[in-house]
Amino acid sequence: MSCHKESKLVAIVDDDDSVRGTLQELLRSAGFYSQAFESAEAFLGSGHQRETACLITDIRMPGMSGLELQATLNAERCKIPTIFITAHGDEEMRFQALREGAVEFLPKPFDDEVLIETIRAALNR
Amino acid sequence: MNRVVNVKWPAGPATSVPLRYGLAVVSVAAALGLSLALTHFHIPQTFGAFALSAIAVTFWYAGTAPGILAAVLSSIVRDYLFEPTTSTESRLLFDLVFLVFALLMTQVVRGRNDLQLRVAERTAELTQLNDNLKREIAKHNQVEAELRLSEAYLAEAQRLSHTGSWAWSPPPGDIRYWSEECFRVQGFDPKGGQPSFEEFLQSVHPDDQARIVEVIESAVREKEEFEFDYRIIHPGGEIRDARSFGHPVLGPTGDLVEYVGTIIDVTERRQAEKERERLREAQADLAHVSRITTMGELTASLAHEVNQPITAAVNGASTCVRWLTREDPDLGEAREAALGVIRNAKRAADIINRIRSISKKGESKRQLADVNELIQEMNALLRSETNRHSISVRTELDPELPKVMADSVQVQQVMMNLIMNSIDAMKSVDRTRELAIQSRRAEDRQLMISVSDTGVGLPPQPTNQIFDAFFTTKSHGLGMGLRISRSIVESHGGRLWAADNSPHGATFSFTLPIPVEALEFRAKPSDAHTNV
Repeated sequence: MSCHKESKLVAIVDDDDSVRGTLQELLRSAGFYSQAFESAEAFLGSGHQRETACLITDIRMPGMSGLELQATLNAERCKIPTIFITAHGDEEMRFQALREGAVEFLPKPFDDEVLIETIRAALNR
Repeated sequence: MNRVVNVKWPAGPATSVPLRYGLAVVSVAAALGLSLALTHFHIPQTFGAFALSAIAVTFWYAGTAPGILAAVLSSIVRDYLFEPTTSTESRLLFDLVFLVFALLMTQVVRGRNDLQLRVAERTAELTQLNDNLKREIAKHNQVEAELRLSEAYLAEAQRLSHTGSWAWSPPPGDIRYWSEECFRVQGFDPKGGQPSFEEFLQSVHPDDQARIVEVIESAVREKEEFEFDYRIIHPGGEIRDARSFGHPVLGPTGDLVEYVGTIIDVTERRQAEKERERLREAQADLAHVSRITTMGELTASLAHEVNQPITAAVNGASTCVRWLTREDPDLGEAREAALGVIRNAKRAADIINRIRSISKKGESKRQLADVNELIQEMNALLRSETNRHSISVRTELDPELPKVMADSVQVQQVMMNLIMNSIDAMKSVDRTRELAIQSRRAEDRQLMISVSDTGVGLPPQPTNQIFDAFFTTKSHGLGMGLRISRSIVESHGGRLWAADNSPHGATFSFTLPIPVEALEFRAKPSDAHTNV
């Protein structure tokens, strides 16, 4: 089982309404098409993971964490370029995420230029 | 007043009839005997005198009828035994003498009887008066005894309550009454007698004297009540705290007659108040330290909680700039994004304020508080912490919950302690981690807040021990959380307890009393309903 890589869908997973909403708005202003999910479970349940070209996810969330989501997707052989955004990521967490194939690890609040460039790079891979 | 006076006839005449008439016969016979005997000794003509005596004795002791009998008998004896030869005129003359004498004796006896009757009447009256007087005296003694008892009770009450009573007439008058307890409170020797106002003032602390005089003078001018606190210097040099209260007594024309009032020794009460105040401060300090400690443990989560709206604001600002700096700027989109920035910046400020209010060391202030609101605020603050440990939070809040009189920060501190304990209890368990917070009305005009978890449950020690100071199963914290929580809840008039859950976890519950006004407010509609 593998994922489609042709689509340009950017998925956002964050439990915080305002972060999720503003992130979606930011991507829209930059010309990206995105869809937002309030939890890892909601994203996995949506079936969109197969058409997601780039995943932006929070790490600490109720229920499944961002790292667990990454592991699950890897297990499903659905390697989506993933950008982690977190308010309290330590080096160990960052190292683990990058080892598992993350393309970027951004502390909140993040520079929009860096995020947009990273997404662009991910989409053009 | 018509008094029935029971008078007995004086004993004067002999009671039995034969005796009374017998006395007449015997006395005349005795007169005859004596007279005959004297004639024998050549002393003639004595019967008349003896007969008069016999008549008098009979009248006096036997009454009128036997007296007349004695007179008749005397006449006959004289006529036939002593003067048979004398003329009829002479005999009649002697009979007349006896008759007149008899009449005279009748009057004498009647007079005597009247006198005896009056004496008896008077005696009866006096006896009754005497009885009445004795009764009055007995009554008086009883009243006096009761009065003395009542006075003793009053004095005891004054002694127990350290309250003396006094009466004082303003100048030129002086202290008119000064109760026993006043002597004690003011430090006067009761043997020294009632003190003057000047002496009273002398026993007052010099710093308080002028103020007291001013208060009293002003009250006297206005004919109003007065009340003042002052210090007394006892003869030994001990300083006591006292309070005096005076009430004006006005005459019928509205003129000020005197003041009656009290002196209360409030030294012990003041000290107890000070002690209580110190204790309250110490408890507040401890609660504050405990809050700060817990907040310290939460630093990472709280930072995350503040960081979220800041991230959202930064996102919004970036979005705004992007819309403005496009080749074809979209002001509408930029405006929307800018409004989002404001919203999120405010949210960040709100969270910081909440954290600050909990960390702040403030005086305890009670006001009407919405418990559901407090729960939700605390929930929001601890969301990152529960997220961090993958704990799902469920709230069941009764929307009809009345407000309570409470110190919001302290109640939130209790909630924070309980929630933090639940989080700690679930950190290491591998099953579903669920935290349930419930608010509802309980019996006895209380509302109840419960925090349940699916953690490791209560430690094996007796449940009550977990509320002891320095009891802890954690490697962090002071071990004061539950102790402080319990003292906070109890100071609000509620209870805090813990119970094991089945099959896992524990529930901590606490109650807070619903203020009476809130109950009345809620009772009215239902009352109206039942009356329909």
